[in-house]
Amino acid sequence: MQIRNAVITAAAPGQNRLPLQQLVDRNGEEKTALQLILEQCWSSGIEDVCVVISPGDEGAFRSASGQHDGQVSFITQQAPRGYADALLLTRPFTKEAPFLHLVGDHLYLSESDLTCAAQLLAIASDAECAVSAVQSTRENNLPYFGIASGRPVPNTKGLYEVERVSEKPTPTYAEQALVTPGLRSGHYLGFFGMHVLTPQVMQLLEEAAKPSQTHSRTLSDALNLLPSRERYLAYQLEGHRCNLGVKYGLLKAQLAIGLSGRDREVILSELVELLSQHVQKTPVS
Amino acid sequence: MNSLVDLIISDSDSIRNQSLESICANLQSSDLLSHADELDKFRRTSGNLYHRVRALFFLSAIHRYYLPKTIPGTQSGKIPFVGYQHLLSRRFVEAIDQFLDVQATQGPSDGLCSAFAEAYHQLGFQTLADQVRKSVRTVHGNQWMFRLGHPADHPLRIRKELLKRGSKSQARPTLREETAVRMDFSHSAWSDIFFLGMDFPQGARVLNASIDLGVCGRDTTTKPPIETYLRVIDEPIFRLVSVDLGASAEVHSISEMFDFARDHLGLLKAAVVASGIVPPGLDGSNQSMAEILALVVGPGNGIELVSQINDIPKGSRLAVSTNLLGSLIAILMRATGQIDSLDGPLNEQDRQLVGARAILGEWIGGSGGGWQDSGGVWPGIKLIEGAIATEGDAEFGISRGRLMPTHRILKESDAPASTREKLQDSLVLVHGGMAQNVGPILEMVTERYLLRSEAEWLGREKAIRILDEIMIAMREGDIRRIGQLTTHNFQGPLQTIIPWATNRFTDLVIETCREKYGDRFWGFWMLGGMSGGGMGFLFDPEIKKQAQTWLADTLINIKRQLAHSLPFAMDPVVYDFKINDRGTSAEFLVDNHAPMPEKYYALMIPKQLRKPLRDHSRDRQSELEQVGQACRSDQSDTSRLLIDSILPRSSNLAESGQSLAEVLNECGFDRQQHDVIRDDLRAGRIGLTHNRLAANLAITDVLASDVTDMRFDPNPDATKLGQQAIQNSEVAVVTLAAGVGSRWTQGAGVSKALHPFYKFAGKHRSFLEVHLAKNRRTTESINGTIPHVVTTSHLTDTAIRNQLKADDQFGFTGPLYISTGKSIGLRTVPMVRDLQFLWEETSQQVLDEQQQRVRESARQALTAWAKQAGEGSDYTDNLPHQCIHPVGHWYEVPNLIINGVLKQMLTNHPSLRYLMLHNIDTLGANVDPLMLGQHIIQQSTLSFEVITRRLEDRGGGLARVDGRPRLVEGLAMPNEEAEFNLTYYNSMTTWIEIDRLLDAMGLSRGDLDNPNATENAVRSLSKRLPTYITLKDVKKRWGNGQEDIYPVAQFEKLWGDMTTLPEIDCQFLIAPIHRGQQLKSQDQLDSWKRDGTADYINSLCAW
Repeated sequence: MQIRNAVITAAAPGQNRLPLQQLVDRNGEEKTALQLILEQCWSSGIEDVCVVISPGDEGAFRSASGQHDGQVSFITQQAPRGYADALLLTRPFTKEAPFLHLVGDHLYLSESDLTCAAQLLAIASDAECAVSAVQSTRENNLPYFGIASGRPVPNTKGLYEVERVSEKPTPTYAEQALVTPGLRSGHYLGFFGMHVLTPQVMQLLEEAAKPSQTHSRTLSDALNLLPSRERYLAYQLEGHRCNLGVKYGLLKAQLAIGLSGRDREVILSELVELLSQHVQKTPVS
Repeated sequence: MNSLVDLIISDSDSIRNQSLESICANLQSSDLLSHADELDKFRRTSGNLYHRVRALFFLSAIHRYYLPKTIPGTQSGKIPFVGYQHLLSRRFVEAIDQFLDVQATQGPSDGLCSAFAEAYHQLGFQTLADQVRKSVRTVHGNQWMFRLGHPADHPLRIRKELLKRGSKSQARPTLREETAVRMDFSHSAWSDIFFLGMDFPQGARVLNASIDLGVCGRDTTTKPPIETYLRVIDEPIFRLVSVDLGASAEVHSISEMFDFARDHLGLLKAAVVASGIVPPGLDGSNQSMAEILALVVGPGNGIELVSQINDIPKGSRLAVSTNLLGSLIAILMRATGQIDSLDGPLNEQDRQLVGARAILGEWIGGSGGGWQDSGGVWPGIKLIEGAIATEGDAEFGISRGRLMPTHRILKESDAPASTREKLQDSLVLVHGGMAQNVGPILEMVTERYLLRSEAEWLGREKAIRILDEIMIAMREGDIRRIGQLTTHNFQGPLQTIIPWATNRFTDLVIETCREKYGDRFWGFWMLGGMSGGGMGFLFDPEIKKQAQTWLADTLINIKRQLAHSLPFAMDPVVYDFKINDRGTSAEFLVDNHAPMPEKYYALMIPKQLRKPLRDHSRDRQSELEQVGQACRSDQSDTSRLLIDSILPRSSNLAESGQSLAEVLNECGFDRQQHDVIRDDLRAGRIGLTHNRLAANLAITDVLASDVTDMRFDPNPDATKLGQQAIQNSEVAVVTLAAGVGSRWTQGAGVSKALHPFYKFAGKHRSFLEVHLAKNRRTTESINGTIPHVVTTSHLTDTAIRNQLKADDQFGFTGPLYISTGKSIGLRTVPMVRDLQFLWEETSQQVLDEQQQRVRESARQALTAWAKQAGEGSDYTDNLPHQCIHPVGHWYEVPNLIINGVLKQMLTNHPSLRYLMLHNIDTLGANVDPLMLGQHIIQQSTLSFEVITRRLEDRGGGLARVDGRPRLVEGLAMPNEEAEFNLTYYNSMTTWIEIDRLLDAMGLSRGDLDNPNATENAVRSLSKRLPTYITLKDVKKRWGNGQEDIYPVAQFEKLWGDMTTLPEIDCQFLIAPIHRGQQLKSQDQLDSWKRDGTADYINSLCAW
């Protein structure tokens, strides 16, 4: 399965400025978060990227996307109708092909030679099905994530056949329905913010986007239906993600990038100095 | 293999269901000890929890019922104090080891048997409780709540819908949950006890219906009796409000939420904990509630949770509290997204979840219910059954059944609409007014199930078949048949399993129904637990309306007849009911101006108005304005209730009866003496610590020469002498009946003498009736006359006189005298130091972990109450008769002298020389010619009967104090260990030689006419005897059948201290256990019956 396209969602109200934030990459160069995400796409073999943005953001996003202007297109979500709607808007771009999907307010740091996106794409290409990147997530973080559960695939470390997906489940439900064998107790497979999605997913999104009495449907709702239609995997890849949207998210992301790059020693010594100053200033009780 | 072990582990039902009795009934002590040894080894090594538990109950039964009968009576071994301490601290294993060590050296004894029986019994229940607790924790969906250790990790969030303000009112929405209660159709033979369901799932079956209720004559319609409300408030607190109990609290810290007995809001707190909003894992953390709320509801926000149960009285046997818990849990789980739907009924999965959490809540709150009790959460009529544990269940491999049962809601084909209609047209539901603790009953059921006692096991099998027959009758719409079956169930299997399921009140009501309506009374229907509270009566539909009205009056009349002998919490109530087909169901209220129940505002607004309006939160201000607007615009119930709650009403003295001052006046209350005692108490000159004898006194066990053993020597000479004395009318009986049985009914204030506690010869009989029946038997068999005196106090006098009159002296035709006690005391609020001494310095049975916590929390609340009410001040905040107390049994004999009864008796029976004085609860005490003869031979003033000590016989004993044998009251023991060195316990039965006693008091028969002489003699004697301060439980009743128990201080002088006076010549006779055994609390009744004592007592009586 060949995957050439990627979709980045960056239209959520309150989060649409995060991809524009300035960071210093592993090589010491200043880049926007969007640039870093796009670079990960290019280096993983992605050829075209579509970014879903809020009205009025196109100029800023264009300039924040760096030198790859020609390979990046933008779709504006006119009203904040949710995640599923944002993805559905990209249907003319994704057409009937599988695509890589990333969220615009996350950065993905690999702990192997391959980028996170490349690891995921490799699994998807092999298995020829939708794959979601997941990480082991403690139950206290359930209010922030979509959660998948399933059975481990024999002989492939970190790979699971997904059976069920739930968006921000309560721990009560998670314990009853989302326990995955092999994880520590109270831990679940939380979405990483990176998926390879198939046309079937888009089909399900369309079905799920129909108005509901209780709440608007999410990507997780569609993914929950996917195992009944086609094979769907989750993969615990080697890497971690930084959520820019949480308190100190940007700071933590910058530290994580810096500490894995060229300026590691400089950052460490700066941190030590900062700490020592802080200790000196702390009054002795 | 040992045959008892085989009985436990066998796979064959026919072997496993054999009774212990079938093997142990005729064994000798050596064989029983050998069985006990094997069982003890087995229970230490068996890996199977249920095998261990059954072995423990076998061991307990062997030591309680079989071994004591086979041990030679001369073996009067002592119970090691260290073992006793282990037992109190719940170190049961260590206690058993201690007892085994002593048994190995001393041999078996009656006392040790009682200690073994208790230790094995408690270890058995502890093991079961641990398993149920473990199962509750391991239910999927509950586990995370025990892992959460810090508020910052809280994974729940409030539903966004609850935060969104209404477009018109700007108020946040309110969730309202309405929940039915459950009615048990078949009575499950208590098979809904968790343990039974888990060990015998195929036998755990219940048919129960959810019902709406109304009080007949008060409510115009039936509705779900439980309502709960939840809303987000703009204050970072958890506000809990119970409208019915008139209680509210603002919870600011996590630890307060776990303080269950601090106020009347324990159930609401348990629901908050069980719902996961303040999960059990946070127990013990010191953070503020605001920290959790900031995360769950948003910074600055809080939650208000309100409950209302539509004035359904406590003890209705309709599982109101469990269903209220279910309702609260459901609404809290809806609000936090743990249940998907914000409104409407629940789906089966959610109901199961709520059911599991309700079990958790009951465990957390230290209460207990069966697994069917949350049935009101489910709709309609359902069959609830134990479920076999299968792979994947947490119980698999541990127990045969699962903790959680399955619920099958009956369809039209099983329970047609016509049947439901007919049932509603026929059944009269009532609350009889009794609110009793069913805990001991459930323990008895468990024990009997494990022992597979033959009759009880057959009863259980029969009850299971009755359920099937009820199902058939339901399908066929045959209500008359249902009535026959439920009546048969109640009078057959249920009372075979637990004779205490019925009582005099219930029997009388059933009899009266039969007399009035004959075969148009279709049957009696027992609702859960035990009878006396919620009950059902089936009538021919044609007369149902009339019968309902008649029953309402009849219940009240019968209650009035029995009000002094049985503990009623309230007047009986008759309900209207309807089957509820929704179960629990919620509504989402938006833009509702005053969404809470009207009584809520009546309760809360007066409190809120104490604060300036500007100091209230914005939402609160706005709500006050809206309620004000509503009150101004119409004459709604809210405004009337509000005025009632703010402004006082004129009190109607005629309704409230005699005031305390009047009662005190009437009884000749000695205010001067009371003030002295109160001042001494406050100044610390008297109190619990001062009751004790000096620590430097040498207190040792008595020598063999100090006692006369009356157990084995038939002594025909003494017997003959006694018989002659009876024939010559030389002896009278004095039955002490002044008390209100503080322990017997936990301070309910009824006359213990009149309590119809047991069915002898097919009828419930009271203590007094038993004593008179023994007298009749003795006089009939020996052909003499024994005058009988019943001593009373202000608390019991009228009731006893009336009862004797109404029942024609229970058929007793001999001379009967009532000696009215004139001495009463006024209770006082206890001193905190005495409370602390009682709770901390004296040994107390530590309870199961969660119950102990609840108890400690209650104790803190009681300490706060004592401080706030004023330590040592007069206790007046209760009904007058609950504020006064008899002043100890020492006064009873002096009263006979002062009030002229003794004189009258001596005039009527000039040959009278001896009195046999006994406690009301010493049922075995009769005028035994042998004992009387021995007393005559010994020529002593007083002969006290003592018995060998059992574990439960606490309260002093016979000791040598500085070389002199005397009785030492438990209150006076300088330390508790000393009591365990004493072989004999005081049964209080005393033989008195009248002339010698008068002589010792400086009186003669001739002086009995002289009030001055008698009063002076009594006063001077009383001054020489110690005054003890004791703490007794007293119930305060309020609301709808609610009861609070308070410890109050009172003073007493005790008869046993007569042995301290050098001029009184005392002897001590060792009596057989059955003769001296006392019934102090109702939970002794079962073993009292089973160990053969009841039959023994029966053999002493002529009915």
